[in-house]
Amino acid sequence: MTFKYGGYAGSLLFADLTKGTVKKIPLEKEWCTLYLGGRGRDARLLFEKQDPSVGPLDPEAHVCISPGPLTGLLGPTTGRVNVAGRSPLTTIYGNSNAGTNWGPELKFAGYDGVVVTGRSQKPVYLHIHDSDVQLLDAGRLWGEGVFETTARILEEHGPETKVAAVGPAAEHGVLFGSVIFDFWDAAARTGLGTVLASKNLKAVSVRGTGAISVADPDGYYEAAREGWQAILDDAGFRTGEHSALGTSICVNWGNAQGWLPTRNFKESHFEGADKISGEEFRDLYSTKEAPIPAGRACFSCPNRCKRFGRIDEGKYAGTKGNIEFEGVSAFGSKCGVDDLAAVFHAYMLANDYGMDCISCGNTIAFYMELAEKKLLDTEGLELRFGNADAMVEMVHRIANREGRLGELGSQGSERAAKAIGKGSEAFLNTIKGMETIACDPRASKAFGFGYAVSSRGSDHLRAHPVFEMLKLSEGVGEELFGSKEAVDLRKYGGKVRLLVWHENIAAVTDSLGSCRFMHASYYAEYPVPELVNKYAKRKKDPAKVRSIKYHRWFEAATGIPMTYEKLLEAGDRVINLERALNIQWGLKKEQDTLPPRFLKEPIPRGPAKGELFDPEKFQDMLKEYYAIRGWDWESGLPLEEHLRQLDMADVAACLGKRGLLATSRTPRSEDGAGVGSEKSSPPASSLDDCEERAGRNGGTPARRP
Amino acid sequence: MSKKLFFNPAHCTGCRACEVACSFKKEKVFSPELSRIRVVKLDEDGVDIPTGCEHCEGAPCILICPVRAIRRKAETGAVVVDQNACIGCKQCMVVCPFGAVHFDSARKAVFKCDLCDGDPECVKWCFTGGVTFGETAELPARKRHRTARRHVKAQASQGKGRAGA
Repeated sequence: MTFKYGGYAGSLLFADLTKGTVKKIPLEKEWCTLYLGGRGRDARLLFEKQDPSVGPLDPEAHVCISPGPLTGLLGPTTGRVNVAGRSPLTTIYGNSNAGTNWGPELKFAGYDGVVVTGRSQKPVYLHIHDSDVQLLDAGRLWGEGVFETTARILEEHGPETKVAAVGPAAEHGVLFGSVIFDFWDAAARTGLGTVLASKNLKAVSVRGTGAISVADPDGYYEAAREGWQAILDDAGFRTGEHSALGTSICVNWGNAQGWLPTRNFKESHFEGADKISGEEFRDLYSTKEAPIPAGRACFSCPNRCKRFGRIDEGKYAGTKGNIEFEGVSAFGSKCGVDDLAAVFHAYMLANDYGMDCISCGNTIAFYMELAEKKLLDTEGLELRFGNADAMVEMVHRIANREGRLGELGSQGSERAAKAIGKGSEAFLNTIKGMETIACDPRASKAFGFGYAVSSRGSDHLRAHPVFEMLKLSEGVGEELFGSKEAVDLRKYGGKVRLLVWHENIAAVTDSLGSCRFMHASYYAEYPVPELVNKYAKRKKDPAKVRSIKYHRWFEAATGIPMTYEKLLEAGDRVINLERALNIQWGLKKEQDTLPPRFLKEPIPRGPAKGELFDPEKFQDMLKEYYAIRGWDWESGLPLEEHLRQLDMADVAACLGKRGLLATSRTPRSEDGAGVGSEKSSPPASSLDDCEERAGRNGGTPARRP
Repeated sequence: MSKKLFFNPAHCTGCRACEVACSFKKEKVFSPELSRIRVVKLDEDGVDIPTGCEHCEGAPCILICPVRAIRRKAETGAVVVDQNACIGCKQCMVVCPFGAVHFDSARKAVFKCDLCDGDPECVKWCFTGGVTFGETAELPARKRHRTARRHVKAQASQGKGRAGA
């Protein structure tokens, strides 16, 4: 172990494409304890290295591609890698996370991340083979799809090379270009593939043959084994359904619960759901079925949620790849299309072109509604809900920026609406410029609220509060989040605290390099299995309840002392840092909101009929959220005191210099929300700490005597 | 009776936990390159194939080793390498048809699967049956019976129960 801490490789690769240089730079030790790695460290690095005046597609912009300290180790779900930069789609903080084999490979090559800046004069790709790092000519790869690019790089550098590539959509300047790892694994949201393409960087390929050590091998083995077992013990996992169907299990599940976005969010129940469901995909196209339901897994993951399939006959013959629920809903229910072959095909086209299937599908669905309302010149296309051919055609046009529809669509639906005018904005589902994912915010309140405050624009993966959908016992909700309503997806009670906790844990897992599914879907992490058992009708012996204890896992891997409370605080730190970045990049408080449709238009039919997101309740929730996060209610700026408490004095000082720091909390009359919310956050470390927190969030002036 | 590792591609999810579990057991670090078991990932076609030493009866690595550094262990039937005796000529790597012999550049010696003395670590981390450990002697009997049971099913579906349908 040459680096002070285990788990880390100890250095980053810094590529300046303008100069054509690639340097190895040592990892900042302090950032490991404060920001952990992956998403957290990437944000810190951007804060340090990127001047706020630099635009997303300027040569000086940076993109970080970083695994975390747990990536590549043995343990459940350690294949994650984070991609971060300033998003061209939203112009605020952009990041996306993928489950890969690329991330571990980079660690084995000896690096904790790759940072790219500058702009090459001609197309290049970065090839890393342990300490041998080169920028190679990508002239012959430019313009090629992601699959062809990946295949050719494998041919060139050997079949065990791992490849992250961008596609033609990103090259063309589609603002939601993705980075695709190992053929199928997408980090697509917020369009960072477009940033890489703007630098004339086609791919980053890596072959790593080294090793990663941990600080306490025996302790680590024990923690990893317990974590693995915790997933295997989980009641949801044991049904085998998620493994059998992948995330597409959500098609029928979401439809039954009434949150499957349908026809551009006009409705939340799709009559054709069965035809595009996970079950249908398994029966028609899945190649990996018998003898047991075995999907494909990311590195060291028991869950195997990737479903690989292939179409052998018909007009979409030759289509193959991994599908996920989001893409199926984007091209399926959102566009009203119930032809699974067409959905699968459009989805794989988007991947091959290298663009975010969610933004792409939503933009097409948005067009379809405008056409229905006669607000759009459809350029000869019959853009109506359910028309699979028009949908597939639009994927091509957007990726190639063909015609006016393609040109406008390539800039995302929000910019398209501005150009189209005629009140088309009313049919948008974007927040902070990004399209909303496949769960109707009116039908599931924690998800919905989470979209509004997510640091990368409308998205569920900042929190992924599936908790509210699982019908857990009320006691669990009450003990963790202070309200029995927390376990009811239609209700509002406890949802802010539920969201904050999920956001904090999600920031931690993204930073450690482990996957969201352990805490949302399975809830295998401490203290949920313990609480579920406590309120279960048939209880297990508490000594036999196993859970993922990230703090122990991290401590054993790195040697950095860690507790559950400190880890949650690290999550809060990451989110506050992202807020700081966003504020610098021009985010306004008014943007923390939901699109008008979700606040005004009740769901017309289906299981969630009549639901909407109550605008008054939304404001109350936002107030409570700001109080917990330590943000000023009037300005939305981070409060100096809160940042200092999070050991972020350097960040506070920097924001202060730019006039973007709130120094004292704006006085306000109703302050109950904050006090109640933080007082019993799980579990309070000590009484003193508890009082201090209550005081901090209770509306007292920031500078206490 | 000797037991061996069965590699079952249809059950393998390609997660590679076996690889890092192996390297950790043997070397106390996480490194697929130091693993005795390897998963061949054909991502383009969505196929994952676990591979490793088959502990062949007529093991070409034993035959070719000029210094008798490779031998069969009587207790487990495993083909094992004595790294102290190995001269690093790599001929065993050349003749192994499975790519199951690897070179450790730090020790300047080859390494391969030794079945963990009859308690393989990789199997403990595989929960889908992608790699299992079993008696080869029982294998044909098990397969005979599995196939035979298919006949029962086939008869049931063609027989009287479904005749009217």
